[in-house]
Amino acid sequence: MADLAPALALAETSARSRWREQLWQWALPIALVVLFLAFATADSRVFSPANLLNIAQQTSYVALFAMAQAVVIITRGFDLSLGPAVSMVSVGAAVAMTAAVTNGSDPVSVLFIGLIAGLALGAATGLFNGVVIALLGVSPFVATLGSYNIAIGIATTLSAGKPVQGMPDLFSTLLYRGNVFGVPAAIVITVIVGVILHVALTRTVFGRSLYIVGTNPRAAAVAGIPVRRVLVCAYALCSSLAALGALMLTARTGSGEPNLGGSLSLQAIAAAVVGGTSLAGGRGGVGTAVLGALFVTVLSNGMNLTRIDGYVQMVVLGAIIIVGVVLDRARLGTR
Amino acid sequence: MSTAAVTLRPGTPGRTGFSIQFAFLPVLLIAVVVGMSLASPQFYGPINILNILRNASLLTIVACGQAIVIIAGGFDLSVGAVIALASVVTAKVMGMAAAAFPGNDAAIIACGVLAGLCSGLAVGLVNGICVAKLKVSGFVVTLGTMSAAAGVGLMITSGIPVYGMPESFVKGFGRAQFFGLPTAIYVAIAVVLVMVLVQRRTLFGRYVFAIGGNAEATTNSGVSINRYVIGTYVLSGVLAATTGILLTAQVGSGQASFGGDRMMLQSIAAAVIGGVSLRGGIGRVEIVTVSALFLTILGNALNLLRIDSRLQPVFLGIIMVAAVAAEELSRRRKTRG
Amino acid sequence: MERAGAVGTPDQETEPLLQLVGISKRFTGALALDRVDLDVRAGELHVLFGENGAGKSTLINVISGTFLPDVGSFRFGGEDIRHLTPQRARAIGISPVFQEFSLVPTLTVEENLFLGRELSTGGVLRAGDMRKRARALIDELGFDLEPAARVDNLSRAHQQMAEIAKALLGKVRLLILDEPTASLTERETGRLFELIAKLKQQGVGIIYVSHRMREIRALADRVTVLRDGRYIRTLDAALVTDLELVELMTGRKIDVLFPTIPHAPGKVAVAVENLSVGEGIVSDVNFHARAGEITGIAGLVGCGKSELVRAIYGLEPVTGGSIRLHGMPYEATSPRASLRKGVAYFPANRAAEGLALTRPIRENVSMTALDLKRFVSFGMLRQGAERLLINPIMKQLNLRPPNIERPVGNLSGGNRQKVMLGRALTRDLTIFLFDEPSVGIDVGAKVEVYEFMKRLVEAGAAVIVVSSELPEVLALSNRLYVMHNGKIAAELEGAAKTEQNVLSKFFTDHLAEAAA
Repeated sequence: MADLAPALALAETSARSRWREQLWQWALPIALVVLFLAFATADSRVFSPANLLNIAQQTSYVALFAMAQAVVIITRGFDLSLGPAVSMVSVGAAVAMTAAVTNGSDPVSVLFIGLIAGLALGAATGLFNGVVIALLGVSPFVATLGSYNIAIGIATTLSAGKPVQGMPDLFSTLLYRGNVFGVPAAIVITVIVGVILHVALTRTVFGRSLYIVGTNPRAAAVAGIPVRRVLVCAYALCSSLAALGALMLTARTGSGEPNLGGSLSLQAIAAAVVGGTSLAGGRGGVGTAVLGALFVTVLSNGMNLTRIDGYVQMVVLGAIIIVGVVLDRARLGTR
Repeated sequence: MSTAAVTLRPGTPGRTGFSIQFAFLPVLLIAVVVGMSLASPQFYGPINILNILRNASLLTIVACGQAIVIIAGGFDLSVGAVIALASVVTAKVMGMAAAAFPGNDAAIIACGVLAGLCSGLAVGLVNGICVAKLKVSGFVVTLGTMSAAAGVGLMITSGIPVYGMPESFVKGFGRAQFFGLPTAIYVAIAVVLVMVLVQRRTLFGRYVFAIGGNAEATTNSGVSINRYVIGTYVLSGVLAATTGILLTAQVGSGQASFGGDRMMLQSIAAAVIGGVSLRGGIGRVEIVTVSALFLTILGNALNLLRIDSRLQPVFLGIIMVAAVAAEELSRRRKTRG
Repeated sequence: MERAGAVGTPDQETEPLLQLVGISKRFTGALALDRVDLDVRAGELHVLFGENGAGKSTLINVISGTFLPDVGSFRFGGEDIRHLTPQRARAIGISPVFQEFSLVPTLTVEENLFLGRELSTGGVLRAGDMRKRARALIDELGFDLEPAARVDNLSRAHQQMAEIAKALLGKVRLLILDEPTASLTERETGRLFELIAKLKQQGVGIIYVSHRMREIRALADRVTVLRDGRYIRTLDAALVTDLELVELMTGRKIDVLFPTIPHAPGKVAVAVENLSVGEGIVSDVNFHARAGEITGIAGLVGCGKSELVRAIYGLEPVTGGSIRLHGMPYEATSPRASLRKGVAYFPANRAAEGLALTRPIRENVSMTALDLKRFVSFGMLRQGAERLLINPIMKQLNLRPPNIERPVGNLSGGNRQKVMLGRALTRDLTIFLFDEPSVGIDVGAKVEVYEFMKRLVEAGAAVIVVSSELPEVLALSNRLYVMHNGKIAAELEGAAKTEQNVLSKFFTDHLAEAAA
């Protein structure tokens, strides 16, 4: 009889409930379109090509961080240290590049030193999180809150609290000013990363294992999936993606900023969750992360253009997060 | 019942796991205090001690509420924002009340404090209802209310400090000292005493432990758990608001920059280092108090030792992870052995 | 719910304490209870008798308000009961003691006893009064239980005592005991029996679930037999023989249900020497299983039989002894290492340990083979190959409907077990460890599972079946080990492999203790 109780919760899906499930699946995209049209009627500039490009570019950063969070949210975790890690990577890469510049390295090797330093710092943060969570059994909340503090400390110490200047132009050309057929670098990079990550999540052993671990960690262990290794990889991937985003943001500001990450951790979680990534694990992916990022960006862009007070925007964002999870809950309930 | 044996009988290993937690933190605390008094004479200075106690009091009050929420199996990310909101609301309402009842300080203060507490209560209620009735994860709900509460606080003030509170509130309460100690300490002591009693002697406290330990078994035993879950969030909101009001009285203005992420994370750190299990069901307010004191003294000590203030978070992070990892490993050893 | 179904009214004048008529309960796909009748009189001990999966658990869950019946009438104390909740059940005096405990592990015994009905004045607990009552109750019950001890520090037996004490704290009119002696010692069992006698005198009705013949003999007034979710008969315990009861319990399906398995014992595939797991969970066990035969391991709940096979697969830490697979020493490090050695394990609790419920069938089947070239090349999944491999596997296993993209959570118990079996066909395996293979699945699916085992044995695999369901292990196995208290109590083969022999081994040391 041991099997029957959970079976209750997941009754056979009837045609009607499947239809309702479909409706919930489309709730967010529909809301997004409605929102967009509403803002467009309120202010014609919303539809202008410049603004559309702006939205796309803005979304690409948020989406990258939301994708990073989605990777670990799928495993029933999250990463609070993402924001400080972004600051740390920004400062670390900038310090490495300025040091290389003063040593007289040529711009290309300076660029590589910066990229490698940044990504390595990110990967190291992720490995720390993953090892503490998977091997020591500490909850993701405490583990990443710990590295949150550690990363803040390192970022402010390395930079002495001030922006780190003196990076080669090539860096910001590659990651910010450059474009491919007129499409800004940030968008190009995010699209490429998104496609690769999507393939990784849906077509590789790692991705498959990630979803199974997130859905039922005990069953995954019994089936011989190396649960701990999968978790460590997930956190390392999350922080590496965040590091890439940090490098892109650094290229945009033109200096290594110790406060660059700010409240990015929670914003990224919010975007991923609003898009339909479930904190209960096993559900979501690149699609939900991008959708959530787009929604949050369109919302703030529209509110900015229609001159809604920034403080009111915070309230709206808070409400959207709650409504988002309540809807998600309802969507799960229909299953 | 005269035959009742007081000693533990064989087969019932008592609370040995607990006593380690009990002993560990005070020892660490004493070590830091002794070490500091040797290393830096300033540490003993009355101003420094008062400063430590005041800050520890503020942290303790928030951490008590946070601890209760965590014991019941939840999370409250909104406490930092509630501190700011309550501060701003208190100052603003006092300003308005001053216009309504000129000269009547008691009425003005009562209105302000009440409004401040109510703002905390309101946020707690929203958190609690969403978690208990809509079955949404506490993490996300309080993440949402955190953003919303901070936004409302900033909307009210436009980011500018709010002045115009009665002198008697600031000088007579916030900055006042009784028997040489600031008022915040008395408030904190009162809160801790009440919370200790609540945890040990009341139905609410008992159910909070039970819900965090096994919500299903608690429901099956006939407890309607929703109202108690809501209660934990309301309590946390009100206690955070209390801290906000104390800060306002001490500084003399309502500011939307009080509290914030730092205070929220510190309150969770204090609870977790103080032995509150994130799995729920375990934790004592008195140990959380010691832990809040420890964290405050640690920060103070690092300052006095001229350790770069920027490096301080690193210590906090490492200590927190180490404390939880140690607890987790000892738990594993226990279940294995 | 209608009263019209109440035809078979009992022959005495007074209405029974509890009267169920035509209770049915359906879970996804499977009918767990099919028009079951039951009546329990005040002061009577009524035994529910049946195999695992006969519907006993579902029935007591219905009576205690955990599940609502789909149809049927439910009368208690002369009143019609509808929409019963666990809270309401307790309030009207129905007190269940489940095998899965309803205790909060982080609270003390005393706190658990009073959970939900604390003595309090204005929200303040009256700790002294509660302590007194808790002590009085525990002393009255004669349990060796410390009220201040935390439940997660207690042994299973002590937790069981706490659970029983909890059920008896309030006003009790109907007590439900689900295999209450499964983890009690002889002395504690004796105490419990005295207590039961006292409760009966006080007019409490008792529903008692057990398959232990000795207990039924000692305690029962009447016995109701369930089989496959159906009501079979209610008998007067004094007028029925053991043999009759077992026949009623198993029906005549032994011949029908179980396939004849052509055992052809070959080389020793698994050999275990002096194996110990945990502290006394399994101690110094020696056993072996040969290729080409089914080796059964029978035993009561908690006797260590499940831990034994889990240790072979690498899920429980081995504390002593050695394991040999096909003659080679093997240290079970992880499930994946075991799978590579050709060992597969099918857990008893499929929802908790077997399946990722929201994921499709296809992914759940290939889950144990994600390290193989046929599914993966250079870290990339070969999804086309995956479909091509798994579709025929699931067709062969008669998955209905045969759509491998449906989430496993939508399947019935039988189909879920087929998904688990499908895993066995995705890679080369030689040793199969089945833990309670037929729990929670209907009769039709059971037959298919047994047929599957038969095919495995025919192909020369070593199959080990761990089961609490005696007829199953008796019929399937070529050789049968009986486990008791973490040790092998007997190895039975051929003509010695009878129900009577196994049951006597279950109680060996109970009898020895009683004799001493």
